[in-house]
Amino acid sequence: MRKVVAALAALAGCGARSVLRAAREPGQRALLCPDPRARAARGDFAPGLRVRGSRDCSSDHMGRCTTEEPGSLHQPVFNIDVLVALLRQENANEICVIKLPTEIKYADYFIVVSGTSARHLQAMAQYAVKVHKHLKREENYHVHIEGKDTDDWKCIDFGNIIVHFMLPETREIYELEKLWTLRSYDDQLVKIPLEILPLDFIYEPTNDLEPK
Amino acid sequence: MVIVFFGFPMALLTRGFVPLTPTAEALCRMFSTSPVCAAIQKMTRVRVVDNSSLGNTPYHRPPKCIHVYTKNGMGKVGDKILLAIKGQKKKALIVGHKMPGPTMTARFDSNNVVLIEDNGNPTGTRIKVPVPTSLRRLKGEYSKVLAIAQTFV
Repeated sequence: MRKVVAALAALAGCGARSVLRAAREPGQRALLCPDPRARAARGDFAPGLRVRGSRDCSSDHMGRCTTEEPGSLHQPVFNIDVLVALLRQENANEICVIKLPTEIKYADYFIVVSGTSARHLQAMAQYAVKVHKHLKREENYHVHIEGKDTDDWKCIDFGNIIVHFMLPETREIYELEKLWTLRSYDDQLVKIPLEILPLDFIYEPTNDLEPK
Repeated sequence: MVIVFFGFPMALLTRGFVPLTPTAEALCRMFSTSPVCAAIQKMTRVRVVDNSSLGNTPYHRPPKCIHVYTKNGMGKVGDKILLAIKGQKKKALIVGHKMPGPTMTARFDSNNVVLIEDNGNPTGTRIKVPVPTSLRRLKGEYSKVLAIAQTFV
């Protein structure tokens, strides 16, 4: 197990440099997709988008990776580089890492990963949990795989990072990367029809009922 | 015109009794009092808030809860329920109810529900209505519902 972790750390070392390079690019989202064709296919990522409450993606924040929540949250177990190196080692297709701003108080990173088959997703998820168990300290919580009886979508919440393992077909249906990069401007959200009252809707009480 | 006091049995007033304790008063009333209602239980009409076709196509009957998958039949945020929608049964997850919950959690004006398959995958792909963040702390598989939500409360 220790050799595996050392290998991961070495891979993460190479990964850290590329992550920092991506961080210095303009825009507040660091999108790491090793397949550029897939990225174009995912598409519609507006580089000049200024979402309300935008921040600069400084390399300082990327390197730190600790959340400042007092009380419950301790030092997170997983560094983003280690996790991405782990996923690359597992031959995950199309790793998509989205850095979330602190205004969305959900997590630091949101990762969507494709797998070749249901067994592949299961194996990736189990390996991630195994490495987490090895790296965690006593104060960290255990992590469980959500979607045990699904065969196309598994999810793990590591506290500061959330990883979704999906099959390519499921990924096409849900388009999570679009939602989490475009937030309110996502096209599936725009397509939802507005709930409006019909024109003949009456608010005030009417005199329909005859007094007895 | 006779003014009737519903809060106190009239027969006892004539004898000059002192006011009774609530339980004793209920026994005197001779009708049954049901326990405090839950947030979502059987026969509650719910509002489906995702963009699934099953939840959004109009039907002459509103979707109703027919079973709550908890030890008692009371459904709070994060519980799975069984809905009757458009003549078919569908599982759903409660994401907000009208009943006030713990302090510093949001209370919604409608009983919101997200349709779910039997394996736990959400049926719809987006949720426009705000979803409480307390789902994350609960024990259960809620990350998928949180992943397709637009706003959090």
